[in-house]
Amino acid sequence: MRIRAAVSAALASAGILLAGWQSGIHVEDTRSAAASTSAGINGTTGTTGATGATGSTGSSSSSSGSTDTGASGTGSSGAGTGTAGTDSGAAAEPTTGAAAKAGGTYTGSVVQTRFGAVQVQITVKAGAITDVEALQLTDDDRKSVQISNRAAPLLRSEVLAAQSADVQTIGGATVTSVAYLNSLQAAIDAANL
Amino acid sequence: MNTHLLPALPAGSRDRKGPGSFRARHRRRLLRTDLLATAAWASIAAAVALWLADGGTSGFSTLAGAFTSLGIVAGLAGMDLVLLMLLLAARIPLIDQTVGHDRALEFHRKLGKPSLYLLLAHGILIAIGYGMTEGLDPVSEAVSLWVLVPDMWLAFISMALFIAVVVTSLVAVRRRFPYEFWYAVHLLTYAAVATSLPHQFSVGGLFAEGTWQRWYWLAVCIATGAALLHYRVLEPVIATFRHQLTVSRVVQVAPGVVSIEMHGLRLNELAGTGGRFFIWRFLAPGLWWHPHPFSLSAEPLQFDASGRGLLRITVRNLGRGSAQLAGVKPGTKVAVEGPYGIFSTAARSRDRVVMIGAGIGITPLRALLESTPFAPGQATVILRGRSEQELYLGDEILDLARNRGATVFHLTGARSARHTGSWLPDSATNAGHRLADYAPEIADADVYVCGPAAWARNVIADARAAGVREDQLHYERFDW
Repeated sequence: MRIRAAVSAALASAGILLAGWQSGIHVEDTRSAAASTSAGINGTTGTTGATGATGSTGSSSSSSGSTDTGASGTGSSGAGTGTAGTDSGAAAEPTTGAAAKAGGTYTGSVVQTRFGAVQVQITVKAGAITDVEALQLTDDDRKSVQISNRAAPLLRSEVLAAQSADVQTIGGATVTSVAYLNSLQAAIDAANL
Repeated sequence: MNTHLLPALPAGSRDRKGPGSFRARHRRRLLRTDLLATAAWASIAAAVALWLADGGTSGFSTLAGAFTSLGIVAGLAGMDLVLLMLLLAARIPLIDQTVGHDRALEFHRKLGKPSLYLLLAHGILIAIGYGMTEGLDPVSEAVSLWVLVPDMWLAFISMALFIAVVVTSLVAVRRRFPYEFWYAVHLLTYAAVATSLPHQFSVGGLFAEGTWQRWYWLAVCIATGAALLHYRVLEPVIATFRHQLTVSRVVQVAPGVVSIEMHGLRLNELAGTGGRFFIWRFLAPGLWWHPHPFSLSAEPLQFDASGRGLLRITVRNLGRGSAQLAGVKPGTKVAVEGPYGIFSTAARSRDRVVMIGAGIGITPLRALLESTPFAPGQATVILRGRSEQELYLGDEILDLARNRGATVFHLTGARSARHTGSWLPDSATNAGHRLADYAPEIADADVYVCGPAAWARNVIADARAAGVREDQLHYERFDW
């Protein structure tokens, strides 16, 4: 009877491990594909960002939902100043209104992590953050690329809704999130928001 | 003696099955045992497969990645072992009725060190792997993880708690401290698991939001927590309210030995539990916080069809707690958990049965003899004590044996000083008697042994020598 238990346990475990390994190979294939597409996206947003504020909003939104960008940008601007009030943002807005109203793109600092460097750029229009782009994301290995690709859109929409770097980190992507939000804070500081 | 509880029903008549039914039941129990063992191993394999399915093997392309990957696998397997340990200690009826309470706890203890080693390896390997990627030594890496990464400080606390729990459970350490100290530290296991969970879901990329791995891990953790909550907290409370036990009288059986009788409700649900143990708490000042594991020393006695009736346990002054029990006042309410263990008919595999008990270990056999099915002539009861007075409930057993057709031996006298491996009185040892001389057909019988650990080991060795196989041996520890 002990033999029966040992044999069935060995067979079951081997089967489960084999199934896991097989689907793992599959995941790796799709992931390398994802890595190449993400590189492409980063490249295009990088160039459009240089052309101008309004242009970049339009072109980058094609990669992650255009209606969403417009709605959250205008709808939550009132709430955005409310939350930003905690960190010098609201006080700064009336006085340095010229810089904020003019808008433009502001680049955050490069934050190094164990999985690679992270840097973000924000687009500001009329004192509100209308877009966040990741210029660099953790990409040391395939796993990090996968995590970054998943976390970046989530962080972007959170930031656009909150209009600050004071948002929840993404579960399973804590390191990327923290670096992303630090770089973002630097960009917000640069914009004098 | 007026302490007898004579069986209300013809003993075992409801439970009697045709010959061979024990073998079938035993085969089913062995099948369940093997299925549980398979499920346990499969769960470990599944934890590793989670990582494989995420393309984990690609991490081995670099040395740093290899360290990190091994660290992740160690963490997954370690956490899975911790969950298995919790399930083994959760008193889940399926596990209890399949391998028994004490064997479940034996497995629980066996997993303690391996799980701690895996968790330590997890921490060290990850610190090395991450450190190599960042160009830091493992210690600085650990510090930076603690300081910079959210939830990681909790994981460090968890590690410290796990170490404390396992170290205090080592036999050598445990002996130095009172039971209550060990128990209090052991409760920290829950804190250790709770503090380890956040980093698994927030820092571990494997369980990132939106992955099926996250759902699997959540489901496993929640199921384990629910099983603990249900079987260790809710069931005892429900049983206490269902049975409403109250001490009705405390009777001295022999010097230092008392029978405690309790009346209560719906005791018909406990029929057939003779020999199994319950955990009792007598709700009196100074006693309520001390849980006592004791077997019933008689089948529940029913007064009427509604299940009103009487339970009885027989206890000796063994520990500090047991000594106080002699002073329990009638009218004291009793909280109860159980029944647990398979020192009962559930463990039977043969038609014949041999019961061997010493001292206070005789009392669960008294209840078992009352309820377990056997045909006249198929049961042998061997009672062992230094004197006739130490054969507690011996005359009740004699009555039962007369009614049911069992053979009873009273073996009294001091143990042999020269033959330390003997369980028999000196005179019997010198005469060259062995277990098989008292129970000639023991090789084809279930053997129930209950008594002090050293004595029981000798009985079991003698039984093995007589051709009794492992699955026929049923042994209950009672000197906790």
